[in-house]
Amino acid sequence: MRYVKWTFWAILALIIGLFLNYTLPQQEVVRVVGTYQERQDLNDWTRIFWATPDDQSGTLANRDVQFIQAIRPNGRPMVYRNEDTGWSWPPYFKFDTASLQTEAEDLKSTSDAPKWAVITHYGWRNELLSSFPNAVAIRAVAGPDVRIIPWFNIVFLIFLLVVGVLLYRMWLQFRERMVDPALEDLGEIYDAAGTRVDAVRKGARGTFGRFGAWLDTWRTKR
Amino acid sequence: MIGFTRVILFWAVAGTIAYFVLRIYGRSLRREALEKSWDANPPPGADAVTRAAFIEKGMADYEGSLRNRLLVIVVVLPFIVIAVLLYLMNYA
Repeated sequence: MRYVKWTFWAILALIIGLFLNYTLPQQEVVRVVGTYQERQDLNDWTRIFWATPDDQSGTLANRDVQFIQAIRPNGRPMVYRNEDTGWSWPPYFKFDTASLQTEAEDLKSTSDAPKWAVITHYGWRNELLSSFPNAVAIRAVAGPDVRIIPWFNIVFLIFLLVVGVLLYRMWLQFRERMVDPALEDLGEIYDAAGTRVDAVRKGARGTFGRFGAWLDTWRTKR
Repeated sequence: MIGFTRVILFWAVAGTIAYFVLRIYGRSLRREALEKSWDANPPPGADAVTRAAFIEKGMADYEGSLRNRLLVIVVVLPFIVIAVLLYLMNYA
């Protein structure tokens, strides 16, 4: 039973961790080398890795998606998609895809004369599933060694922790003030019922006693 | 527009639920504190009636307190956050 419990909590923590890792913004220093636009099929389960820019796009079988090609400081490639999130999940409220594409275009550079930029994005790059992180912002930086402090994530995770502690405290208060007194009342009712059963048992000894006890069952009890 | 309406409705409902849950929680904390302060130091000649009156008086004061009123922020906060995010994401 203990293993079941720990497995349950471990899986729950893993799911929450992965969810946050996918959804929260991450920043990465890259060098933009190009942008392109490609028609994407959206009619299988990998649909979950694409955004829903507007209400119509939820039912489309395919649509054009913009991409930003980049090289990381270690020389490895990274490709971002550039899609509106609109009003849907995740709540980035991003509507400036075209502007972002223009900014990325403006920061394009070659390895001979590199221009470095920080791309803020969410999501995962997975070659097997053809999933791409969605770029949400880009800004030019001096070099690949800039120090990035994820202020938003710090504030958000602290907020999440505070909410979690608050909910736990609320539950404790609810149990102390509402559940425990109700259980105590219930216990008293059970105790009273037990005493009554004992009294009936005591009265039901011998033939007449038993008859009297049977008669007694027809009387109203207080 | 449907997406916009959905976001507004969702956060209005979530904010309202959070508001009422926090109100109940705040009241429960205050009531417990009042009970404890009375029980720790009951005035001479105190009985259940004066205790109940003391607690009801304290709760009535709490209802009008700034802390209780400020809880309305919970309803407004999601919309402020959404507005700030919209600005930062698209115009900053």
